[in-house]
Amino acid sequence: MNSETTEKKGVWRVVQREVARMLSQPVYVFCMVVAPLIGFLFFTTLMGKGLPMDIPVGVVDEDNTSITRQVLRNLDAFQQTAIVKQYANFGEAREAMQQGKIYAFYYIPEGTTELALSSKQPTVSFYTNAAYLIPASLEYRDMKTMAELASGAIARETLYAKGYADSQVMGILQPIKMEMHAISNPGLNYSQYLSNILLPAMLMLLIFQVTIYSIHSEVKEGTSKHWLELADNNIYKALAGKLLPQLLVWMVMGATYLVLLYAYWDFPLKSGLWPMALASLLLIVVSQAFGVFLCEALPSLRWALSIATLWGVLSFPISGFSFPQIAFPAPLKALSYLFPLRHYYLIYVDQALNGLPLHYSWVNYAALLVFLALPLLFPNRLKKCLLEYQYTR
Amino acid sequence: MKWLHNILEVFREELHNSIFDEGVIVFFFVVPLLYPLLYAYLYGNETVREVPTVVVDLANSTTSREFLRKVDATADVEIVGHCADMQEAKDLIHRRKAHCLIYIPVEFDYALMEGRQAVVELYSDMGSMLYYKAVLASCTEVSLAMNQDIKTQRLVGATEKQASTFAYPIKYEYVPMFNTQSGFATFLIPAVLVMVIQQTMVLGIGMMAGEETEKKRRGILEPHVIGEKPIEMLFGKSAAYLAIYSVISAYVFCLVPHWFHLIQIGKWTDLVAFLFPYLLACLFFSMTLSSIAYNREVFIIMFVFVSVPLLFISGISWPTCSVPEFWKVVSWLFPSTFGINGYVKINSMGAVLRDVKPELIGLWVQTFVYGITAWLLYYRSYGKHLKDIIEVAEERLQARWADYL
Repeated sequence: MNSETTEKKGVWRVVQREVARMLSQPVYVFCMVVAPLIGFLFFTTLMGKGLPMDIPVGVVDEDNTSITRQVLRNLDAFQQTAIVKQYANFGEAREAMQQGKIYAFYYIPEGTTELALSSKQPTVSFYTNAAYLIPASLEYRDMKTMAELASGAIARETLYAKGYADSQVMGILQPIKMEMHAISNPGLNYSQYLSNILLPAMLMLLIFQVTIYSIHSEVKEGTSKHWLELADNNIYKALAGKLLPQLLVWMVMGATYLVLLYAYWDFPLKSGLWPMALASLLLIVVSQAFGVFLCEALPSLRWALSIATLWGVLSFPISGFSFPQIAFPAPLKALSYLFPLRHYYLIYVDQALNGLPLHYSWVNYAALLVFLALPLLFPNRLKKCLLEYQYTR
Repeated sequence: MKWLHNILEVFREELHNSIFDEGVIVFFFVVPLLYPLLYAYLYGNETVREVPTVVVDLANSTTSREFLRKVDATADVEIVGHCADMQEAKDLIHRRKAHCLIYIPVEFDYALMEGRQAVVELYSDMGSMLYYKAVLASCTEVSLAMNQDIKTQRLVGATEKQASTFAYPIKYEYVPMFNTQSGFATFLIPAVLVMVIQQTMVLGIGMMAGEETEKKRRGILEPHVIGEKPIEMLFGKSAAYLAIYSVISAYVFCLVPHWFHLIQIGKWTDLVAFLFPYLLACLFFSMTLSSIAYNREVFIIMFVFVSVPLLFISGISWPTCSVPEFWKVVSWLFPSTFGINGYVKINSMGAVLRDVKPELIGLWVQTFVYGITAWLLYYRSYGKHLKDIIEVAEERLQARWADYL
């Protein structure tokens, strides 16, 4: 290195300068430390054990006999269901549902018991409010189990009385039975299902924005020339000096969510820590690279930020972690691969959930590396912008 | 009528500023126009159909083949491969060629012949809950139908009806209301629409306030804008935003659901009576928040990430009854919580105005409280001492900055 200038210039000097900038503007502290921590804390505490308990359910029991009351007591015993109120008729129950007081209700029409006793197979209806999808599907599951159990119990007794053997009874009641195995999430834990992607996604969004803000705000404040000068007018040194201290903070945040997910909650991590740690590190660096790329492509703070916001927010649904990608329209299916989060999600499924050997996910690791190369496309555009662009508004 | 003239003047000025500022246009117009379309398009299929599924059929009998044929015929499952063993099948799942696996063991046929219970095992890749739902629902449906026939054969001398009644003395019927195909778009889009209104308003208004702060700092703010009384500023500006967002809302809440055939069963008078306070609450909420926008862009990086937690806290996906008390109270600070619930109730569930009373009260309280805070903050910003305040803050920042260098 040049002996005269090493004291004042070079990457290290830019790093020092960047640390000072980060500490002097509260927006950095907020977006790099406070915001991610709030986000992590939010999802950690919101979903608790991962399944909603005691979802309020109503009942319209027009029959009101000892048998129907027994059926309802059985229902109430389920952990996820709490029968909170009896309604006089269907209309009242529907109204309570529209007011959001209950998520579902049973409707037992008059004469149910009588029909059942005379073997005329009456129908009991179960209405759920599917506008709220999660509680509705959980309620559906409880209802289904209950229906099987309740019907089974009566019929079983009759068969035993007729002298059928134990093994024959179930063969008659339910000749073919489905046995479901949810690979790696037997309890259908919603927190596991959502948090594994939501936490990294939130971090990614913040990294996009902070990276862009930290670069383009220099132009706006008129300090970009000074920044470049300190880096020997070398755009790579300038970016390295600026992004390294930020990377360090992001890595601490990344480690925090890994600890939360895989140590605090103990979510499945079949592959061991390293493949996911690598994926997280890549996601962080790629997010920075994507931010730099946008700065190069759009020499204006507000446009770069707007596009980053669009990309970042769209990443959530398009990664396919809640609504699967195979159900997207074809153009969006293809587009989804342009989102780093999509690749992170696929790695997560392969590695953490299914514990596959690394080579099954190599395409996605490679894709992340391609994103990493994006800033190499036109660095000189950015340099020019730092030197010449005048912030107009 | 000097005050009315002043208000109109501010109104005109603010409308002009919003329409001719590229950055604000993005948030006031482009995002509200585009986002709902994107989301509606993305979730357009409502639910996942034809989930690719592999099969290991070790029984390979007439019954097992009939079962698989019927499962393949359902809308939700598509059988994409028959494998000789579990290893081969799992490998197909691992290579993402399939997401579910149906395993029929050798005992299947023996069990059926001997009158015992035959078990079919289902496996699902838990990358998405919807795969699980699809394969389980389809297979259960098929097995119930087939059980019916088998039972009739087994209960010697019974008719089909008797056999059915015997196993299920009471029939259970499941009716998903307000979203008959349990679809994603019907469930999520209404919430996204309401959220888009609040978030873009916060960002747009924050950007305009940041702009003013920047101009004040540079001393180039037009004198007549500073000259008004704070209350006149408040009314003038909010009227301008309200005018813009009335148009945007008409598009977001009427046209978008109409185009994409989303559920719309609310009465329009109720909808208007509910959305009006929602817009007001969002407005004053944004104006209150905007007092901390010290430059144009700061809100974008501080407020966008909040959208996702806000969606969850509102109770649209994670049920409100399971939201911890603390977060429930926090959620009341944001108009979106009341907005989403009220809108979903009216629009998707056909509730009338008195059904959404709690939400309506919430929104009016927010309008009132945030209106006052916005007024107080405007009083601070547009009062005499404003310039001094800004200058002092500026100097302090500069000094701190210098310390580090």
